[in-house]
Amino acid sequence: MTTLASAGAVRGARWATWLAPARRPDLWVPVSAVLLALAVGLVLIAAAGVSLREAIAAFADGAWGSPYSIGASLNRAVALALVGLGFIVAHRANLTNVGGEGQIAAGGIASTTLCLYGGAASLPGPFAWIVPLLVAALAGGLWGSIAGFLKVRIGTNEVISTLLLSFIAVWALYGCVQSTNLLRQPMTNSATLPESLEIPDRTKVPPLIPDLDMPLHLGAIVCLVAAAVVALVLARSLFGLRLRAVGLNPPAARRAGMPIGATVMLAMFIAGAFAGLAGGFMLQGEQLALKARFPSGYGLDGLVVGLLARGTAKGVLASALLFGFLRSGGIAMELVAGVPSAIVLVIQGLVILLLAGSAWWLERLK
Amino acid sequence: MPETAEALLAIEGVGKRFGALAALDDVSLRISAGEIHGLLGENGAGKSTLCNIVFGVHRGDAGEMRLAGAPYRPAGPAEALRAGVAMVHQHFSLVPDFSVVDNLLLGQAHGFLRRREFAARVTQLSEEFGLAVRPHAVVQDLSVGERQRVEIVKCLMRRPRLLVLDEPTAVLLPDEIEGLLGVCERVARSGCGIVLVTHKLAEIRRTAHRVTVLRLGKVAARSEAPASEIDRLVHAMIGRDLRAAGSAGAAAIGDVAGAALALGASAEAPAGPIASAASPVGAPSRSGAAAESAAAPPSTSAGSPSLRVAAAALPDAPAVPPSAAVLRIEGLGLRDAQGVRRLDGIDLVVGRGEIVGIAGVEGNGQSELVAVLSGMASASEGGFRLEQQALGGQSPRALTEAGIGVVPEDRHRDGCVPAMSLALNLVLNQLPRFRRFGLVDRAAVRREALVRMQAFDIRAARPDVPFASLSGGNQQKAVLARELMLPGLKLLVAAQPTRGLDVGAVEAIYGHIRAAARRGVAVLLASSELDELLAVADRLVVMYRGRLMGSCAAAPENRARIGAWMAGHAA
Repeated sequence: MTTLASAGAVRGARWATWLAPARRPDLWVPVSAVLLALAVGLVLIAAAGVSLREAIAAFADGAWGSPYSIGASLNRAVALALVGLGFIVAHRANLTNVGGEGQIAAGGIASTTLCLYGGAASLPGPFAWIVPLLVAALAGGLWGSIAGFLKVRIGTNEVISTLLLSFIAVWALYGCVQSTNLLRQPMTNSATLPESLEIPDRTKVPPLIPDLDMPLHLGAIVCLVAAAVVALVLARSLFGLRLRAVGLNPPAARRAGMPIGATVMLAMFIAGAFAGLAGGFMLQGEQLALKARFPSGYGLDGLVVGLLARGTAKGVLASALLFGFLRSGGIAMELVAGVPSAIVLVIQGLVILLLAGSAWWLERLK
Repeated sequence: MPETAEALLAIEGVGKRFGALAALDDVSLRISAGEIHGLLGENGAGKSTLCNIVFGVHRGDAGEMRLAGAPYRPAGPAEALRAGVAMVHQHFSLVPDFSVVDNLLLGQAHGFLRRREFAARVTQLSEEFGLAVRPHAVVQDLSVGERQRVEIVKCLMRRPRLLVLDEPTAVLLPDEIEGLLGVCERVARSGCGIVLVTHKLAEIRRTAHRVTVLRLGKVAARSEAPASEIDRLVHAMIGRDLRAAGSAGAAAIGDVAGAALALGASAEAPAGPIASAASPVGAPSRSGAAAESAAAPPSTSAGSPSLRVAAAALPDAPAVPPSAAVLRIEGLGLRDAQGVRRLDGIDLVVGRGEIVGIAGVEGNGQSELVAVLSGMASASEGGFRLEQQALGGQSPRALTEAGIGVVPEDRHRDGCVPAMSLALNLVLNQLPRFRRFGLVDRAAVRREALVRMQAFDIRAARPDVPFASLSGGNQQKAVLARELMLPGLKLLVAAQPTRGLDVGAVEAIYGHIRAAARRGVAVLLASSELDELLAVADRLVVMYRGRLMGSCAAAPENRARIGAWMAGHAA
C-alpha cells in the first residue's frame, strides 16, 4: 500500500525521471541484466562454432525483421502475458500456479470442440469467435479450480496438483488429436499429422490491423485491457485485499470474516481462466488447428513471466514482451542459423537468472 | 552486588537510528561479572535494540562497547558468541523434530556426532544450574518452559561471559518463572554477567542487583538497589506518577497501576497466582485499596447494581435475569482432533455491561473457549446464545456480524496481517463497508483509521505504515480498536490482551475495555494475570482442566478461593 500511496506523490516527477533513465536504477539495472545475458549468449554461440553475424541476423529477422515476425512475436507476448496475469492474481494469495500448460491445453480442447463441432461458426457476428474464447477461459478456469478445490478440501499443495493436472490435460489433448472419433481430422493417412481440422474462418480471431501482412490479432487489445483490470483489482478492490490478506495470514483473514476457501478457489479459477483464454487465442488467432504439441511451453514461459513481473501487471506486460521477442528470435536462430537449441535455452535461463538477480540487487539498493 | 574496577561489558554512549526514529540515544551502562542487570522499559523503549546491538544483530551508529576492557563491536551473532556473549531470544530457534541433544549439536559439533558425550554435558549443566532438561526428549513434545531451558543450556554450553535474556518470562507459567529466576541466580553466581530484559517488576525486585530503565531510547533511571525503589523505577519507565494519577480519580490508570504495584509488593511470597492465593488474604494495603475500588460497582455502569454480582448457575451466585444476559453458554463441550476433552460442560452467563474474568493457569481450556466463541473451533456439544440468538458452529464472519468482537490470544497469527498497513488492519473485518464504485475507498479507510488512531491513542507516523512496524502495545491497541468499533458490538471476548505489554499499554487496554463495558458491552476476559483480573473484572470464573471451577466477585478477599480453584480444589 505504501507504494500505491507514494505513487501519487511521485506522479508529477514521473516524466522527468522517464527522461533520465540513468537516474532510475529500477530501469537500467534490468535492462543491463538482459544485455549482459545476451552478450554471454553471443559468446556461447561463437563457442558453438556458429557465425555470430548469421546468428544475430537470424535472431533479428525472426524477432522483428518483418511485419509478420513482429506480429508473431507480439502474439506470443499476448499469450504469455495472459498466463502471467493469471499467475500474479493467484500469487497474490500466495498460490503458485505452475499448471499453465495444462490450463492452456484445456482451453485449446474446449475452443476447438466448440469451433469445429459445437456450432460456434453459426453464431451471429463476432460471437462466432468470442464465445469459443470464453468457453476456453471457462475450461482453463475449471481445470485450475480443481487444484483450488483440492487445496481447500484436503490441503494438497497447489504446486504439485497443478503440475500433475497439467500432465493429464496435455496428454488428454494428445489423445484427442490421435483419434478420429475425437478431434483428429476425419481424413487421415500416413502423410497427415495428428491434428484437428482447421477451424472455420468465422471463428478465427480477427487481425488487429486488417489488410496487413501481420498476424497480430485482437488479443493484443484484450490483453492490455485485462492487464489494466488486473492492476486495478489487485491494488484497489476488496477482492485484491482479500487475496493479499489470505496470502499473508490465513488465520487472521479468517478471523476477520474473509471466506478463505472461496478466495482460494476463485484465485485458482482466475489463474486457470487466464491460461485457458491464452489457449483460446493461441488456437483461434495463430495455430487455427489443434496440434499434438499445442501448449508448446507457453504455460511454463508464462509462469516465468509471472514470476519475473514481481506481482505487477506492468511487470507482466514488460516481461511478456521480452519473452515474446526472445522466443521468436531464438526459434529463428535455431532454425535458420543452426544454433543448437540447448544454447537458446541457456540464454533464456541466463536472462531469467540475471533479471531475478537484479531484482534482488535493486531491493538491496533501497 | 559485586564491585569490580573493570566492568564485564561497558556500553558508552551508544546510539542507533532506524530512519527518522532514534531507537537508542546516548545509552551508557556497565555490567559486572556475576551481576544480574535488569533492563526495564516500555515496549518500544529500545530494550530489544540494545540487546541486538550487544549480540551483534544490529550495529550501533554511535558510541562504543568494551568487553572485559577490550573494544567490542561484533559484526554478527557468530562473532558475539565467539567473544563470549550469548542471547536467549523471545522466539526460540529449535528444530521441533529433533531431540534436545541433536538441537544442541547443531552449530556446535564438528565431524562425527558425539551424542553420548553431549548428553553427559547437558546433564552436568542441568545439575549445575538446576535446569530440568531431558537430553533425549524430542523438542516438539516439550512445553514452552522446557524449550526455553533448552535454549539456555545451548547458551551455557559455550560457557559465556555474558548472557542476555530478552523478555524470558513472557511465555512462562508462574512456577516456571520462579525456576528461571533461580537459574539466573545460579548462573550469575558462577561469574557470568546476566542482562535480564523484562517489564515485570516482581522479577526485578526478586533478582536484579542493578537496574537500568530505558524510556524512548534514553536511560531514564538507574538503580543500585532496585528492590527498594520499585516506585521510582515504574515512574521512570512510564514517565508519570502512577499513584498521583490514581488518586486523581482516573479509575483505569489507578487500578491497573495498583495491580502492577501489587505484583511487585507480593513478590516476597513465591510468585504466581496460585502461590499468591495461598498467601494470607491480608494483602499489602496498596493493592488491597486498588482492587477494592475495582470491585465496587462503577457508578456509571449501564446495568443495575444487582447485575454486578450476578452470575451463572454456579456456587453462591444468583442467576442473571434473562433480559440482561448477553452471552449465555450452555453445556459447552469440545473434544480436539485426538478426542481429548478440552472443554467440559461449560455454563456461563455474562450480563450487559459486565466484565467477567476467566482466571486459571494457562492451558486449562481458556484458549479453546475463546476459539469456540470466535468461530475458530466448533463445539462438540452444547452451544451458546447471544441475546437469545442461538449460535455455535457459525463461521467467524457470522459471529462478527452477530456482534462478537474478539481480541485473539495470538495477535500476530490471528489478529492482524503484519505486512499490510495499519489502516487496513484497523478495518480488516469491515472492509466491505469501505467500498465505492466496487473498489476499496482508500480515502475513507484512511479517515476511519485516523479516527481510530486518535480515539485509541495508537502511535504511528501515518495510517499507511506497515502494521509490523508498530510496537507491541500499539499493535494490541489497534486490534482492540478494530474489535471495539464493530457496529452493533454486544460481546467482547479478549484473550490475554495484555500479554507482553508494558504498564502504560496495559492501562490503556483496560481503560478501553472498561469504557466499552460502561457502554453496555458484555466482556469476557481471559488472562493469566490474576492481579489484573482482580482490578478490572466485576466477577471471576476459574477454569481448570476444561471446566469452570466456580464463580465469585473479583475481590481480593477471594484470592484464597480462587487460588484453590486454580489448583483444582473444589472450594
